[in-house]
Amino acid sequence: MRWNRMLLALLIVVIMGIPVVGISAQTIPFVHKKRYAMGTVYEVVAYDAEVARASAVIDKALDEVVRLDTMMSNYKPESDLSRMNSTAHFHSVQIPADLYKVIQESLRYSHLSDGEFDVSVGPVVELWKTAMQGGPTPTVEDEARARACVGYKKIELIPPDRVEFHSPCMRLDLGSIGKGYAVDRMAEILRAGGVERAYLNAGGSTMYGIGTPPEHAGWTVHLRDPSNRLDPQVVLTENSVSTSEQTAPSALEGDAPGHIVVPASGKPLRTRYAVSVVAKSATTSDALSTTLLLLGPEKGEAVIKGLPDVAAIWISREGEKTIAGRGLHIFLKADSPSIVEESNVENKAVTKPKQN
Amino acid sequence: MRLGKFFSALLLGGLLVTQPASGKVFLKVSQAELPPARAMGVSDLVFVWPVGNDSLLSKANALGYRIFLEATPGDLSVVADAAEKTNAVGVIFDAGNLDSSASEEVLRSAQSAHSKLSFLLLNPGGKEPQMKARLVVDRDGILQVSSPTSQPWVDSNLGLVRFARAFRPEAIPLYSFHWNLSDALRKKLGPTAEDYSLAISEADAFRADVILDLHEGLQKGLAHNEAEAWALWNNVKRYVALQSVESAPGMPPMPLANTGIVTNNYRVSYEGINMMARHNIPFVVLRPADLEAKRLDGLDMLVVFSAPSIAACRVLDDFAKQGGIVVLVNLRGDFPWHSSEPIRRNVQSAVYNVGTGQIVEFAEPVIDPEVFSRDMRRLMGVQRSSLSLWNSLTTIAVPYREKPVGETILNLVNYALEPEPVQVQINGHFSSILYESPERGCCQSITPIERDGFTEFVIPALIIGGRVHLKPTVARPQL
Repeated sequence: MRWNRMLLALLIVVIMGIPVVGISAQTIPFVHKKRYAMGTVYEVVAYDAEVARASAVIDKALDEVVRLDTMMSNYKPESDLSRMNSTAHFHSVQIPADLYKVIQESLRYSHLSDGEFDVSVGPVVELWKTAMQGGPTPTVEDEARARACVGYKKIELIPPDRVEFHSPCMRLDLGSIGKGYAVDRMAEILRAGGVERAYLNAGGSTMYGIGTPPEHAGWTVHLRDPSNRLDPQVVLTENSVSTSEQTAPSALEGDAPGHIVVPASGKPLRTRYAVSVVAKSATTSDALSTTLLLLGPEKGEAVIKGLPDVAAIWISREGEKTIAGRGLHIFLKADSPSIVEESNVENKAVTKPKQN
Repeated sequence: MRLGKFFSALLLGGLLVTQPASGKVFLKVSQAELPPARAMGVSDLVFVWPVGNDSLLSKANALGYRIFLEATPGDLSVVADAAEKTNAVGVIFDAGNLDSSASEEVLRSAQSAHSKLSFLLLNPGGKEPQMKARLVVDRDGILQVSSPTSQPWVDSNLGLVRFARAFRPEAIPLYSFHWNLSDALRKKLGPTAEDYSLAISEADAFRADVILDLHEGLQKGLAHNEAEAWALWNNVKRYVALQSVESAPGMPPMPLANTGIVTNNYRVSYEGINMMARHNIPFVVLRPADLEAKRLDGLDMLVVFSAPSIAACRVLDDFAKQGGIVVLVNLRGDFPWHSSEPIRRNVQSAVYNVGTGQIVEFAEPVIDPEVFSRDMRRLMGVQRSSLSLWNSLTTIAVPYREKPVGETILNLVNYALEPEPVQVQINGHFSSILYESPERGCCQSITPIERDGFTEFVIPALIIGGRVHLKPTVARPQL
């Protein structure tokens, strides 16, 4: 145990503390660009000696997000997703390859979570969105009607590029996976354009690190901690982290509905947790963060047990935490600097908050 | 119930009547060469004192510019003397840490000593208008905290302008800001045409004057007739041209708003004000001393950040009794409405029914501005939400009433700098809706849909700034 701690401490020092000799932030300029898409802000920071080239490649990557937004937007009536949502009922329609891939990935997580993650939850989400904006709370009948439209098993993908809904009112919403897919596409474009040190951020909820920043061995991200006690961190290098949490409650009505809805019940999720997931791809971390928030720590841990290179942390408002997964590390700087924990291979850590 | 009150146009204190046109752009320039004023489309220049070479000012004069010198409390009299000697038209006074009454006093005294000069007070706290990034990037690296997906944060100067209007109603608010040049490319090339255009559109939309730092590289490029520099500036000039158009000179439009924010502390109320601006809740700022019944006509909601006096508490109580909503933020006291039990209470808030209205007390300051503005929308309800925008989380819309013709003008600013279709819902009925933009000129007719007392329409592609003219439906005579 003591040796484990020592090794871990050494590892943290190596990853977070020691400058990489010969590469200086003072000598490598950075480019920082942002773009509005998918209802949020996408940002890229790249350290690159050739600023003009890096800038052009970043523009290309951000253009890709806009292209995917045009394809997968629920708000734009002309998007491929909107067209599919209005025409694919009991009739197969052709869809673009990117859309096909995202639906395919979504179904993977639906199977994995036994339907807790479900991109067909759109009609129920829409119902509660109105309530969130001050509209009336949905009636039992409204809920039942919307819930009848939900069910990933009613989505049929027909290779190579067609989809059919076996429901008269099914509508897909890719909000819980689309940003991750977009980030992965951006990373591909940046790498192909020769950008070797970059940090990608989609609205603060999905981040990806390419290479390392100068003088550091990775891109450090402080993870969402609703208790403000634990300061969990990840160091990204060719991997991604995503965070999910239910919408902050209203100060006026503590129980106002949030934006994440449980597909099975058709009601907004009630949870004390925020969850962050580290994975090799942003598509995976994005989809899993929503899935694991819906599942909670107990069921969630069982799901990620079978997944390689995935780690997750659930933190409650009270500071209770559960860490699970393998292959990737989440570091905790607890109140006392002498206590450091991490997710580790074939293991999980469940700890209770310190009593103050 | 209060439908139509929105269009009983707020004229707060009758203070806007005699103001000159606003939306003026000042350029703060370096001591490098300058292109002629006529070619630039901007004629007011600001120089930081001391100007190394006096001949620079006479050259700028000869090129058609009006010169302003910038002064601080420490050098105001020296700068004013210099301004007179160099044929400058005025002094821009950056009061720094002086409080408002002290800076007024300093200005008054300077004005009496130099009656030919114009003295303009620079409002502190201006921000570069932008859709804000989440990352904090500096030479030490990147600070990043993960969160659930956040809506875009917009840095706007609307709160600053409305605050300045409340406290210096006789003056057009003037502000400036520094461009963030931490990015290597931006440092080298300077802000883009879109960045300058956004700042100009914003000042115009808020009816304020703005000082823009002209990047030295661009200034030199323009002076040397470089095609790339002029291509950039010609784009910017379209926005300058749009902002200078005013249909009734000397009769500026009046801001339309149905929410009053009562505050005497900009810093304390900033987060709440800024997020209400981003959520397109039309508001005006009221000083605590403005809490008089006659000044509240047309308002549906009061958000109070400053402790009310006993008399003000009575005004708030009466306002609620007549159907208004009062929100007190982090204020404690023995208020008249405490004679009844709240209808709802949790750790964060207490809600009192008062007459036909409500008074809400929030126990804490605005911690999460997003939640706060969502709660304000919820309190206001759909029927009293005089203005709503969809598909446009980065657009701020500001409505005005043009006095002589009764036209409603809706100024729109898109901080994302990307063309977005903007869906607007506004209270009332209109006989015609025309959209004016720097890209397409004036004007494109827009077909609206009327629904439940509201008019809905879509701006097909708002790029940076635009203006919608809504002509009121003339009531037909009763037969």
